[in-house]
Amino acid sequence: MAHIPGQPVTAVVQRIEIHKLRHGENLILGFSIGGGIDQDPGQNPYTEDKTDKGIYVTRVTEGGPAEVAGLLVGDKIMQVNGWDMTMVTHDQARKRLTKKNEDIVRLLVTRKSLQDVVRQSMLQ
Amino acid sequence: MDDYDVRSAASILASVKEQEARFERLTRALEEERRNVSLQLERANQPSDRLSLCNTTGSQPLAWQQIVMQEQSPSNQTSIAMMQEPQELVEETVTIEEDPGTPTSHVSVVTSEDGTTRRTETKDVPTNMKVTKVVKTITRRTYVPVTVSETLLESKPTTPTPDPDPVTKMVKTVTTRTVRQIPIGPDGLPVPEGSSPLGSYTDSMDRRFMKNGDRYITPQASSTLNRSYNSYNDSYIDSPDAQFRPYPIHDGFTDMSDHYGSLSRGVNYRPRYAYVPANNYRPENSYTLPIRKDDYAHMAQPQLPIGSNVELNRSQPERFQPEPYGLEDDRRSLGPDEEEAYGLEPDYSTANRRTPGGGVDRGRPSRDRSRRRGGYDDPIEAELIEERHPYLHSVYTAPLAQPERGSMASLDRMGRRSPSVDSIRKDPRWRDPDLPEVIAMLGHPIDPVKSNAAAYLQHLCYENDKIKKDVRHLKGIPILVGLLDHPKSEVHRKACGALRNISYGKDNDNKVAIKNCDGIPALIRLLRKTNDMEVRELITGTLWNLSSFEPLKMVIINHGLQTLTNEVIIPHSGWEHEPNEDSKPRDAEWTTVFKNTSGCLRNVSSDGAEARRRLRECDGLVDALLHALQSAVGKKEMDNKSVENCVCIMRNLSYHVHKEVPGAERFQEPSANQNSGTGGTQKKKKDDAGCFGGKKAKEEWFNQGRKNGEIDKNYDTLDLPKRTEPTKGFELLYQPEVVRLYLSLLTESQNYNTLEAAAGALQNLSAGQWIWSTYIRATVRKEKGLPVLVELLRSDSDKVVRAVAIALRNLSIDRRNKDLIGSYAMRDLVSNLPSGQQRPAKNLEEDTVVAILNTIHEIVTDSSENARSLIQAQAVEKLVAINKTSQSSRETKAASHVLQTVWSYKELRNTLHKEGWNKSHFQPLAAAVPKGSKGGKPGYDDSTLPLMERNQDAYSTIDHRNKECKYKNEDGRGDLTEREPLKSDTSRKNYIRNNRPSVNLVEACDTKPQPVDSWV
Repeated sequence: MAHIPGQPVTAVVQRIEIHKLRHGENLILGFSIGGGIDQDPGQNPYTEDKTDKGIYVTRVTEGGPAEVAGLLVGDKIMQVNGWDMTMVTHDQARKRLTKKNEDIVRLLVTRKSLQDVVRQSMLQ
Repeated sequence: MDDYDVRSAASILASVKEQEARFERLTRALEEERRNVSLQLERANQPSDRLSLCNTTGSQPLAWQQIVMQEQSPSNQTSIAMMQEPQELVEETVTIEEDPGTPTSHVSVVTSEDGTTRRTETKDVPTNMKVTKVVKTITRRTYVPVTVSETLLESKPTTPTPDPDPVTKMVKTVTTRTVRQIPIGPDGLPVPEGSSPLGSYTDSMDRRFMKNGDRYITPQASSTLNRSYNSYNDSYIDSPDAQFRPYPIHDGFTDMSDHYGSLSRGVNYRPRYAYVPANNYRPENSYTLPIRKDDYAHMAQPQLPIGSNVELNRSQPERFQPEPYGLEDDRRSLGPDEEEAYGLEPDYSTANRRTPGGGVDRGRPSRDRSRRRGGYDDPIEAELIEERHPYLHSVYTAPLAQPERGSMASLDRMGRRSPSVDSIRKDPRWRDPDLPEVIAMLGHPIDPVKSNAAAYLQHLCYENDKIKKDVRHLKGIPILVGLLDHPKSEVHRKACGALRNISYGKDNDNKVAIKNCDGIPALIRLLRKTNDMEVRELITGTLWNLSSFEPLKMVIINHGLQTLTNEVIIPHSGWEHEPNEDSKPRDAEWTTVFKNTSGCLRNVSSDGAEARRRLRECDGLVDALLHALQSAVGKKEMDNKSVENCVCIMRNLSYHVHKEVPGAERFQEPSANQNSGTGGTQKKKKDDAGCFGGKKAKEEWFNQGRKNGEIDKNYDTLDLPKRTEPTKGFELLYQPEVVRLYLSLLTESQNYNTLEAAAGALQNLSAGQWIWSTYIRATVRKEKGLPVLVELLRSDSDKVVRAVAIALRNLSIDRRNKDLIGSYAMRDLVSNLPSGQQRPAKNLEEDTVVAILNTIHEIVTDSSENARSLIQAQAVEKLVAINKTSQSSRETKAASHVLQTVWSYKELRNTLHKEGWNKSHFQPLAAAVPKGSKGGKPGYDDSTLPLMERNQDAYSTIDHRNKECKYKNEDGRGDLTEREPLKSDTSRKNYIRNNRPSVNLVEACDTKPQPVDSWV
């Protein structure tokens, strides 16, 4: 899932559309993210590549909008509404996700199991 | 075949005719019955697919004429669930279910002179509607490493708890014969689901049936038949081929799904689809078993000369065919015709002879014969019934079956373990599908094939680690996980069953594989969706298995904690969020689902501070667990596994409450104005806190123990904080009220694990220096808990003794407790010590001995009175012996500390000298442990005891912290080595832990920059 800067990225992605839940003033997505280019990638438990500074899903609220949409802990977020998320700071990612004027976010995520399945099917 | 010769053609023909006539009558009755059945089916809240199928058929009554039976699945599900009742020690259970409302068919087989075997199935629906299923539940004692001890203050090696986590195999036998109309796909390709899944099989069947030649008017008609149904044909002759388009789906389909469970049954654990000729599976060539192709080619030729050989050939493929299609799973695939064919086969011989192919009855009238035939499957069941559930036998209607007992039974048992045996036995030319084939079948477009393959996998994996590994390597696990989301209950149930077996065992890679393909969220999703008890048991059982592996614990918490709590724990505990005042509180139900779920939570609750926090803050969890335990105490049901699990969770959640719960700092005791017990940091002050002098001890003890004195009412000087609103959530963990609960458990339970956990809970709660632990320590005394605990020092269980010893140590932080314990527990403590190299009868483990020594040390510290009791208990001799001769450095060290402390009381030296001891006995032997070192460590851990050994036995803190560090740093793969639940590890582990500077580790952990984690 890691990539070399300047090189095109190939990844198997899944589209996930999350309908935010309105809770008073707040719009809730129901997951949390970790990572970003300003974070220590060595502490990311979700990837074997300890240089991957991508944005990862770290927690998903049970029954929350993200879970309903199929987001899983450990998913790497590649894009949010078309915006690249592989080279952003943690805060930029957070802001992209939490825009007040957007009720729906569309994510492109990739996850290990997805990659594995595809690899497997290609081998067959 | 031997029978064949004996047979008289005429009598056979006659009997055939009779059968046919009879059958026709019955068919009519059946048609009516069928309507009933489909009505029932609808009522029974069937899976929607099935329902719609029923409806379909309803509109085409014609098709149903021959359809005799149908297994009803709804009841099947529930009853199976019941059967799986955890029989922890029972190795094998066979349960039989009766499914009223489904007709039983009687099958008779007749072999005519041309060598064709016919089988007639008679259904006496009206009178005898009965489907008997034999369900075997084999609950194995399994061994799930449950690491529960983490929260214990003691560093109990995580010893494997043999948990009877059920790896269950279910064997279902259905007596019914299903005759069904199978729609033929135009080209023999599988017709899309819902239209006619069976299509693909048809043509092969047809061919086979063709052999019977005359019997089959058209091949298509025969497609209805499964298996050995060639013999059925006669009855079908009149129903022309044409019709069969219409009928099919319905019953073929229904049956299929129902019977899918049958795969696992008895001898025939081999997947039936294995025997389907290749061409049926065109879409998936992988299913093709080449060997069979040949056979088929051969067989396919119509009008083969009939003879025993032919018979043989023919019956084989047929025999196996039914199963994949959900046809009746005949468990032995012992078709009557086969019997002929295989009469000589050793395994079947008994059965075969008993059911002479149609004709040759051993002198029975044909009618009788037909009955017998009908029961032909029954024999086995009857036998099973008789053997294992004699009481059910009477219910069972097929007395005819009885003779068949014996060889089948043994067969059954044999076969279960090694499917290959079966195939060899049956015919060397047939083989079971190999693992890749089975796994490929999981992806087959036809649902019953999927579920059958999954069921077969479950069977194969049972107690076979190699197969589990192979399944993993062959990428079978992601497919199974994928099937969890399958809408058909039969499919997701079997998949779940397979996953449960795969997830069981020491091979953690299997568990990781399930996790890696998102199996945990899938299981949780299914749990939310399904109301099927059996499926729920399988899900929670799988989760329990998964939860035994450290790195998966947090994953389970993240995905499933609230769901498990809401779906299982709360409803089964009887606790209600807002209790209805009118209704009386409900009791807990100790269901398997509850047991599995609590076991799972028990495992995950040992995963460190974050896990504990999540569990404590999980809405309703603590409340429900407490309610369940109170209900257990109330009903005196304190020995079961669920209670054990609940207590263990409570204990684990009680660990470090004084540091970890939100707002804990508000309750920290200002160390100066303690009333009785002060922390180790305040060691010196303890002496001054002597408002409860040692002299009062005895009197005090009597007050506690004998009469419920007035002073008991007012908690001495303690004022419990007044609460305005009822406590809820995690606060319940440390309210003094829980003391009574734990003490009840300690008094009444016979389950060592429960005792250990309850003592551990008290130990955890009485540790620390916040106001609540002070209350707890006092409450234990007030509730007369000290004598209860002291009594348990005599327990035969090592870990109980250990937990109690450490609890006493923490309780003795309270000065008055210390005096009481010193006076009255000393003898019991000392008697647990080994005398020299000679261990006492109990032969306690090193950890326990060290724990006791540390407790003694704590008790004699700052109390010369207690030190005197120690001397009077003849402890010095033992201590000196341990100090000198023990093989364990930890024991030596702990004994040495006690001796030094004793020697430090100058007023006692005189006594000691008189008994012949001198200073050298009390000096540390080797590298002297300077006395100052004792006080050197701040007593920050759970106890306030400044012992070096603290980390070894009393506090697993380090362990936790360390692990948490790892969690944060690495990818969730915690310390496998440390947690490896092997007893042999114990000493090493402790040693390591011992040498590990706890405080540093903790700090190191905390100083690491935490990854930012933003909720969005």
